Amino acid sequence: MAGPTIGALLESAVAAEDALAELGETIEDEWSYVNDLRQAWTDRLDEVAAGPMGAREATPEIVEAIELAIEEASLVHDPHRAIDWLSTLPQVVLLAAESLA
Amino acid sequence: MRFQDAARDGRAVVYAAIQADPLVARAAELLSQATLGERILARAVMNGESTDSHRWRRIFPSVFSSASAERAVDILAVSLAVADRGEQVRSQVRGAIVEELTARLLARRASPASIRRERRILFDGVPAEIHPYDVTVEVAGAGEAFDCKWGARGINADVLHQLDDARTHALDEEEPLKVAIVVFDAERSCRVRLDAQTAPHAQTRLVALEQLDTLAGPRQ
Repeated sequence: MAGPTIGALLESAVAAEDALAELGETIEDEWSYVNDLRQAWTDRLDEVAAGPMGAREATPEIVEAIELAIEEASLVHDPHRAIDWLSTLPQVVLLAAESLA
Repeated sequence: MRFQDAARDGRAVVYAAIQADPLVARAAELLSQATLGERILARAVMNGESTDSHRWRRIFPSVFSSASAERAVDILAVSLAVADRGEQVRSQVRGAIVEELTARLLARRASPASIRRERRILFDGVPAEIHPYDVTVEVAGAGEAFDCKWGARGINADVLHQLDDARTHALDEEEPLKVAIVVFDAERSCRVRLDAQTAPHAQTRLVALEQLDTLAGPRQ
């Protein structure tokens, strides 16, 4: 059975970004920054998912890396740390995805 | 324009102890040689919740299968040691690491004696800023001032005003002073933060995670 594509994994990362943003935006002073940051990174994840890499099947190693990174993000319950992870998660996920190239 | 040590107030004494922590020097030395992937690893682990090294190795397969895997193991260990500190100390240690990393990269192209920490910059007839600059390069006619941040969120109006004020006051005294903000975070995140700032920053150089090694290159 074929594994997920990079694009499908990046879609999961976008959902994780949304969850982090929801937590981060509870810091009222940072509402705009959090949403601008979410947009900037989900645009980038969408761009990679829609590109040539998005259709490629991920190796089991990359599937595990991205799934664990998303799981790590889900462990964050502090809104300040969520804002840090809003920026960190896509960097980690893209590093894993780009290693396929 | 002249440089001066910052006042040794309570904050400075506490922070000096953080800066002197051997963990800070060890992390900065490793990160000064690191690849971008290894720096992202350090950022994730020092920001993270998990302290299981095996788990982090599975999140970064390409980093741990590269030619520099041995260094990546050391970076993971030092990052976990930072993450293991309490939240407040972790935050202070991370900040100190970015400062020390900046100083070490600058030392590849500037005389170590010219690189100073926690310095104020004084100008004739201008009240001194309360907060010192994290790192300065003190060379006559080619001074530089750096503010260092762990994350893009640390970029704020106060920091941008202070850097730009120093630059413009230096110009008034016909002393060219380059100013920069060094951020251990992705350029994309820093640009989002900067775009929302109204404080002057057009002449303030951004050195984000992807560009850290340029600190070791020619003065910009």
